[in-house]
Amino acid sequence: MNDTWGVSGPTFLLWYLAAVVAVAVLAAVHRRSLFAGTRGAHVDKLGPQQLAYLNGGDRLAVYASLGGLRGADAIGSAPDKTLWQSGPLPSGVTPLDTAVYNAAGRRIRAREVFADQWVRSALDQLRAGLEQNGLAVTAAQLQAARLWVVAGVALVLLGIARLMAGLVNGKPVLFLVFALVFAIIVTVKLWQSTRWATGAALRGMTELRRRHDYLSPRQSPSYATYGAGGAAMGVALFGAASLYTMDPAFAEEAEIQRINAAGAASSAGGSSCSSGSSCSSGSSCGGGSSCGGGGGCGGGGCGG
Amino acid sequence: MTAYGVGIGWRPEIAGFVAQLPGLRFAEVVAESVHAHGDLPIGLTDLRDRGVAVVPHGVKLSLGGAEPVESARVAHLAAVAQRLGAPLVSEHIAFVRAGGVEAGHLLPVPRSREAVAAVVGNVRRTQAELDVPLALEPIAALFDWPDDELDEGAFLTEILEQTDALLLLDVANVYANARNRGTDPAALFDRLPLERIAYCHVAGGAAHDGVYHDTHTDAVPREVLELVTELCGRHRPPALMLERDGAYPPAAELAAELDAIAAASGYPVIT
Repeated sequence: MNDTWGVSGPTFLLWYLAAVVAVAVLAAVHRRSLFAGTRGAHVDKLGPQQLAYLNGGDRLAVYASLGGLRGADAIGSAPDKTLWQSGPLPSGVTPLDTAVYNAAGRRIRAREVFADQWVRSALDQLRAGLEQNGLAVTAAQLQAARLWVVAGVALVLLGIARLMAGLVNGKPVLFLVFALVFAIIVTVKLWQSTRWATGAALRGMTELRRRHDYLSPRQSPSYATYGAGGAAMGVALFGAASLYTMDPAFAEEAEIQRINAAGAASSAGGSSCSSGSSCSSGSSCGGGSSCGGGGGCGGGGCGG
Repeated sequence: MTAYGVGIGWRPEIAGFVAQLPGLRFAEVVAESVHAHGDLPIGLTDLRDRGVAVVPHGVKLSLGGAEPVESARVAHLAAVAQRLGAPLVSEHIAFVRAGGVEAGHLLPVPRSREAVAAVVGNVRRTQAELDVPLALEPIAALFDWPDDELDEGAFLTEILEQTDALLLLDVANVYANARNRGTDPAALFDRLPLERIAYCHVAGGAAHDGVYHDTHTDAVPREVLELVTELCGRHRPPALMLERDGAYPPAAELAAELDAIAAASGYPVIT
């Protein structure tokens, strides 16, 4: 029986898996350099909403604003899930606070706040400042990092083609299917992975989180004691769970999605990969050993 | 004993507030909330590293129980004291369990000679395991046992003399007990060895249906602060601390409470 495309199953599999791992590793290395940010850039002077953006993007920045405004008793929520202005706008607030507060005045739902044009423009302004300082990853950098998806897709297509050919030739394809699934997972992860903070910003944030450990939901912080600033900082550094600790009824009515400290929205999925290294490193993605070592691939070949 | 001045009960909920008190030299933590071997809360290690005396305050030893104290609980208290580098530890003269049933509350011990012997036995067992002195805190109680043989002053003095323990006097408890019984709170000061006071609790409370409750969740009433001044006029304790256990107010109000204790005791402001 002839080998499919003149390449034996084990040989193809070996090269195929090597290519997938290479794409994952190269993508990780590329991301690392792309997202390095400005060396020595500091996060100490940033406000809660800026930190929240670095931690969880636009969504967490808005949540930090909601937390601060709620802590200052400037906004409230109604059972029909709309926001309302429960008090005057505190002094010294950010443009995002003003935009969110005004949006609340129109009795819209919290999840509609993101679509508000003034909120959008305040977020754009916030993001631009962080990008200039080398703290936030730019859209262009993210796009450049996502180019590796093309390589992933190419490998998936190659795998599918080999699978088809193998089936037509009546070859065993089980291990190829495993390899293909692996390639698909890597490609999907490369596509889904998102990132807001640069490497420089991430390092600073770790120290900030340690310094503000008292705001962690684990400590059930007394937001009445820490005030509006503490509430906003809690959300910024420890995610939307802080809003649930602070004011469960408000968080529920405002349909706050639980975004954890690493900035991954639990309901949005995929972003568990946001730190890049967690999924792109050879170790967690190198599960190709299901077919490795030749032993499993012996006999009639397994690569189609 | 070293004079520490005004302190505060460290609680995770207000750890950030406590951490930012520039003049703080004394804090207390509920011993059972601290792990004997795992990671200490960051707030506590930072305080310890700053040189703030952090005293573990036990609530579940049940020194007033008829049964001997559980050695595992004593060992935990000793281990926590060691981890915190505490200059002393404290516990209540009360029982929290009997016959295997947990009361979930600090219950008053009858002031009988038999009870004195039981408490003394338990205190000695505890002291034997500790590297640092033990301070005993009498509790607030809404009732007295019918078979009381001793008054509060004699009961406490007896226990302290027999065990050589220190006294943790809760000024708010003294106020609550006297108010609910219609007696003069300051009168107890004349009956106690004030020089044995290691530190004092100062807490808030509220009256419901004519009965004053030592809630630890309300503001410290003026009468309690006046009692602090009265006590300090006779013998100023080395430390007086605000004991707040819930319904934490804004930072400014907590700071004002600490300042009021400083003013009442004559110690420097720590906020």
